[in-house]
Amino acid sequence: MRYKSQSVAYWYFAVAMVLFGLQIVFGLLSAAKYLGPDPLLYILPFDVTKTIHTNLLIVWVLTGFMGATYWLVPDESRTELYSTKLAYWQLGLWTFMGVTAVIGYLFRYGTGNKLLEQPLPHKLMIVVSMLIFLYNIGMTIRKARRLTTTEGVLLLGLALSAVLYVPALLYYENYTVSIFYRWWTIHLWVEGVWMMIMAGFLAYLLIRLSGIDREVMEKWLYVIVGLVFFAGILGTAHHYYWVGVPQYWLPIGGFFSALEPLALAAMAMYAYMAMRRGGVRHPNALALHWTIGSAIFALFGAGLLGLAHTWPSVNQWTHGTLITAMHAHSAFYGAYAMIIMAMITYALPGLTNRPQDSYSPLGYWAFWLQVSGMFGMTLAFGTAGIGQVYLERIMGMGYLDAQMKIQVHFLMLILAATVFASGVAIFIYEFFRHRPRFDVVDDEVLAAPVVDPVTGQVTGSPTGPVAAHPVAEPAPDPVVRREH
Amino acid sequence: MNKRQSRIFAIVATGFAVVAFIGLTLHSHTRFGDLTNAENITPEVTHGKDVWHKYNCINCHTLFGEGAYYAPDLTKITQHRGEAYLKAYMRDPSRFYDEQRHRRLMPTQNLSEEEIHNLIQFLDWVANVDNQGWPPRPILVTGGAVNVAAQGADAGVAQAQDVRPVSADSDPRAQGEHLFRTAIPVCTACHSLQPGVQLAGPTMAGMAETAERTLASPDYTGSATDVVGYLREAIVEPSAHVVPGDMFSAGGMSFMPNTYRDSLSDEQIDQLVAFLETLK
Repeated sequence: MRYKSQSVAYWYFAVAMVLFGLQIVFGLLSAAKYLGPDPLLYILPFDVTKTIHTNLLIVWVLTGFMGATYWLVPDESRTELYSTKLAYWQLGLWTFMGVTAVIGYLFRYGTGNKLLEQPLPHKLMIVVSMLIFLYNIGMTIRKARRLTTTEGVLLLGLALSAVLYVPALLYYENYTVSIFYRWWTIHLWVEGVWMMIMAGFLAYLLIRLSGIDREVMEKWLYVIVGLVFFAGILGTAHHYYWVGVPQYWLPIGGFFSALEPLALAAMAMYAYMAMRRGGVRHPNALALHWTIGSAIFALFGAGLLGLAHTWPSVNQWTHGTLITAMHAHSAFYGAYAMIIMAMITYALPGLTNRPQDSYSPLGYWAFWLQVSGMFGMTLAFGTAGIGQVYLERIMGMGYLDAQMKIQVHFLMLILAATVFASGVAIFIYEFFRHRPRFDVVDDEVLAAPVVDPVTGQVTGSPTGPVAAHPVAEPAPDPVVRREH
Repeated sequence: MNKRQSRIFAIVATGFAVVAFIGLTLHSHTRFGDLTNAENITPEVTHGKDVWHKYNCINCHTLFGEGAYYAPDLTKITQHRGEAYLKAYMRDPSRFYDEQRHRRLMPTQNLSEEEIHNLIQFLDWVANVDNQGWPPRPILVTGGAVNVAAQGADAGVAQAQDVRPVSADSDPRAQGEHLFRTAIPVCTACHSLQPGVQLAGPTMAGMAETAERTLASPDYTGSATDVVGYLREAIVEPSAHVVPGDMFSAGGMSFMPNTYRDSLSDEQIDQLVAFLETLK
């Protein structure tokens, strides 16, 4: 940690971790209800657990974004934050909003509008909180008089997230029109400005972890942003297919959303090329796992699995089935959950005053259990969805009967989700295992000092160069990695 | 490409997309009224929409295929179930479905009668929005795959379900069978053709014999005297005689839609009767 005020990030991450854990609890509960019968039918019905599951996702991901930004901006702008006090007030307001919203959902206090269930007072708290955040970050950069491209892309993404929340505050008499503008918030967040945020974090991590030339990375960052918006903005049309809007949204949605994987492919190539050129010398190999993992999983989940059902003639059969759940889980996880865990894994040694290479095998267990668990969940949703499409949509079997025929996939879903949840639990445990210590150091501590067992002398410098791995080295066994 | 050029690419690509998107949005606003029958958005429909939101329906069901995937899509539900059925269902879903059998059950929502009425008005407005003919085939709540059904609007898909193409000079019974799968509300949404398979309505298997037995029974309350008359009466005036069972009627009022009298021509009703009469 180079700047004292970066310690703010720790508390944002801590809140994000707690909410992440809760999100998974409600996710498991919802999955169990697919198997049924449901003993909690009148206590905690599916609609409540599902609302809490998706809302906690949005809140913890945004908390993670904000925490990671508070960590990143001092590093990039080389200054202390404008006001840590403001940042803590903002966190307090934000957490209060999140917690009371969830409690409200337990009593069906919400708008009943998918993903925008936050009641109006909560929506206003979100806006105020975002404005405080943007003000604090904006003043920090203004004070420093230094704005890098990476930072600029990240901040524009965050600022536009706030702007795009405005349509969610308005009232629409016509249900079709309200759907139309709901996607301005939801789609343009997750397939537009949030991808800018992701690309900003990705660039930051790759520059730090691979040591590659900033000019090259930032040049490609612009290309990625251009691709994201070229495809993503008009790609909103894939949400307009069957909701009562003019016919021309069908071909537009098909064409532009078919281009959406390009930006994700570019990000995965970007990460891969950075590793190829810059090498993988950085001792925080776990952060590298999360960074590359995020780029690849996002290409798979958001890019390819989105493409799989985005063409109108395919989508007319798959629309509103578990195929969508397949895409949504892998996309959110790959693009957003993983990039935040990458930022946390990179920042945490600095926030707990440990060397960058001090992750235990548990950290790798968290990574691999989560990735394989989520992969299994994606397959379970996908196979359930394919079964549903054929039985219900093509053969014409009734919804309830078709759901009975695909029960085996729900079992698979719960098994995979259990693996995933254990990975999450380990990640959260790893996060809280070390007491936060906010010591300011001039340069990051790369590796623990090496003490010669015979002479007792320190032979390796804590900040000295670290041996490079061979570029094409396969992911090592966690236990082996510990030796490194 | 240098950094400046890549920045120009980002700005131009984004600018193009933004301009096109806003332009199309403005144009869409000129079309929303027609496509959604905005003139039919009465205060009742608006209140029904609020009921839909208030009870968080979208986090189990889908509407226009949007929502959660835990419960059936309701886009066209008012074309599959009559108002009387939907009202009785909303008062107590557990009378219609068994959690042990389907492993899922909708919790009773305790809606007021006004809320129920307006919710149905809202769902009926939804069912009539011009949404590019989605779903291409009806999404049924229950029923077997053998009930392959097609909606009237899309003649091509409907034709594909017939054993051989049906035209105006086909046998009336063949035309009746075609209607059974294509009339709106579609008959197959509630009636199976398999013995013992009860959906929202009674099975049509052995309909001709069932009709004869009903006519001979002292409990019969209608005014028909023969099988053809009985079948016709059941279509145009469903409450003339109700089949026993809580799932099929309440207070002497059949749950079957009573709209066929107006939506089908006399000739079409004859064709349907001719088809049903063959089911022995």
